[in-house]
Amino acid sequence: MSTRPVILLDGDASSPPEVLGHKGHGIDVMRRNGLPVPPAFCITAEVGARYRAEPEATINAIWDDVLAGMRTLEAATSRTFGRGQHPLLVSVRSGAAVSMPGMMDTLLDLGFDDDVEKALAADGSGEFAHDSRRRFTESYQRIVTGPAPDDPYRQLRAAIESVFVSWDSPRAVAYRAHHGLDDSGGTAVVVQAMVFGNFNANSGAGVVFSRNPMTGANEEFGEWLPGGQGDDVVSGTVDVEPIATLRSRQPDVYDQLISAASLLERLSADVQEVEFTIQDGALWLLQKRAAKRSAQAAVRLALQLLDDGLIDEAETLRRVAPAHVEALLQPSLQPETRMAAQLLATGLPAGPGVASGRAYTEVDVAIEAADRGEDVILVRNHTSPDDIHGMLVARGIVTETGGATSHAAVVSRELGRAAVVGCGSGVAESLAGKVVTVDGNQGEVREGSLQLSAWSEDNTPELRELADIARRISPLRAHARGDYPRLDRHTEAEVRSAMASGHSDVVSASPLLAMLAAIRLSGVS
Amino acid sequence: MSELAVLQAVRLKGRVSRDDLAATLGGDFVDVVDRLVGSGLLLDGPTLRLSPEGRGRLEGLLADERSQVDTAAVLAAYDEFRSVNTEFKALVTDWQLKDGQPNTHEDIGYDAVVLARLDDVHRRVTPTIAAVAAQLARLNRYSVKLQAALDNIHAGETMWLARPLIDSYHTVWFELHEELILAAGRTRETDDA
Repeated sequence: MSTRPVILLDGDASSPPEVLGHKGHGIDVMRRNGLPVPPAFCITAEVGARYRAEPEATINAIWDDVLAGMRTLEAATSRTFGRGQHPLLVSVRSGAAVSMPGMMDTLLDLGFDDDVEKALAADGSGEFAHDSRRRFTESYQRIVTGPAPDDPYRQLRAAIESVFVSWDSPRAVAYRAHHGLDDSGGTAVVVQAMVFGNFNANSGAGVVFSRNPMTGANEEFGEWLPGGQGDDVVSGTVDVEPIATLRSRQPDVYDQLISAASLLERLSADVQEVEFTIQDGALWLLQKRAAKRSAQAAVRLALQLLDDGLIDEAETLRRVAPAHVEALLQPSLQPETRMAAQLLATGLPAGPGVASGRAYTEVDVAIEAADRGEDVILVRNHTSPDDIHGMLVARGIVTETGGATSHAAVVSRELGRAAVVGCGSGVAESLAGKVVTVDGNQGEVREGSLQLSAWSEDNTPELRELADIARRISPLRAHARGDYPRLDRHTEAEVRSAMASGHSDVVSASPLLAMLAAIRLSGVS
Repeated sequence: MSELAVLQAVRLKGRVSRDDLAATLGGDFVDVVDRLVGSGLLLDGPTLRLSPEGRGRLEGLLADERSQVDTAAVLAAYDEFRSVNTEFKALVTDWQLKDGQPNTHEDIGYDAVVLARLDDVHRRVTPTIAAVAAQLARLNRYSVKLQAALDNIHAGETMWLARPLIDSYHTVWFELHEELILAAGRTRETDDA
């Protein structure tokens, strides 16, 4: 296979995600449907694969095509890269066919030198130009590692090469090994003209979902940061605003955004997550993907899409994994309960689980409280090795600083404690003495002692509805009761043997799970 | 010197039994411990703890120790440690979590890939410890303890990777990180956790 090494994402790229990467493919789909997307091109995954064998020769061989791609972005934006009165800046993103951890983070605002900064200052404002350059310098240092060169084209080349190299990062390699993904490929790179959420007060960046991916309610959901750029929103270190505030501030932009999300949902027949930027009142869409969702939302959204006629009954059942149902049958913090309790702190989820108790900030005091029989949540600025004794007596752990791989996170997981880390300074003081619930799955601390509950196949309407659908589709109809042979467990082996024995109806303690297994075995489509 | 070693070990462990203290120090410190208890610097009981006076005494001893080292050399070693620290914490996280869920350790191939990364980390950190121990000989002990934990892991006892309260690879590493932060005159508030 040998396609062009660089493909313009103008809506006519007509190549699959395996070539364009999932991000590049999403951009092309949005362009094809007339949505406002900054011009972009991608370097194909095939080039990424070649680069791994022969880095220098590969990047040299495609460089003219990359430059031609840059000329196209310049023409489309009426800007010039690395020079001129209206300089062009670009973002550089990794984009494998399948999203995986360990790939290079997106690098924004690439293309600066001193003259570019001056021209941008004249173009927008000095503050905007300075802020953008600071963002570039810091993120280049962090992501590409090492100081940024002065020449914008050298910045571009180094960033592209860093994306290719990140395919072989230990985390990405381990992820592919674990998931049985082909290791011989490579990643695509998307280069896109920048739009600026930090341009002025009439700007911002955020993410919107076509329906609520937490609760599964049919309502828009999302968050944004006025005056921010995309990486601020994902970083979790800045206080973002709910998408509703965009409706009151910029109603036209909001309406345009929601109708775009809804169009993308109809086109893909699935709930979408869309990254956007607003520059001086104009909406731009940057990326879209199928929304990650909770188990509750997976069930509710599949049923809604069926009701809306976007998917059929067989597809509805495919959208609900047995693991979703298994999770729903276990006690957990229901999204409705969670959303109704006041949010006291957010951080990074570092130890799975949910735990409630009174917050203590000193190890010795926490140990005394636990000795009195209290449920203790330990809240620390950071953890030191000797905090282990406080962590031992705590049900949940919260820290102000540190990431999901911090020592506190490692120890919390080793002890099996729910943990949220990196909640920001001042959290220890604000939580001290309160009864709180630590949600180590979501990375939140909420007020009060929240109760866990479980769904049941018998009593939860959504699961009953799914079971009714399954009985119309499944080659093996499973019932909660009735005069049929009994299926002891809903494992694939049991289900297969019941079907092999010619049974069409069985009684099962988990009829839905039994039928989901039967449908998967028979490959009903 | 041994007084500093004992006080610092008790401080890093928080509360520690005499047996565990002897194991982590790797020597016979009974006399020193008894003397420190007698002078009120250590609080005795089922476990030993620092008294406020003991903490003050320790801080004085550490400051004396710091004043005699080549700060630039320690800072250089600390910078090297930080880069390998990032990879170490990521691999422990990958050991504990698979797809955001607790690793059930049923996938032997996955676990083997993660543990192979530990060998690489160990190769990288060993010269760093040697460099800092040229300034602070006391820290040589961390190489010995990391090697012991690694040997146990190689023998299939993977609890020696991250289990708290024993001198697992992560426990020793976490304490070493604390030592380097102190030796470099930094604080955890300003540096990564």
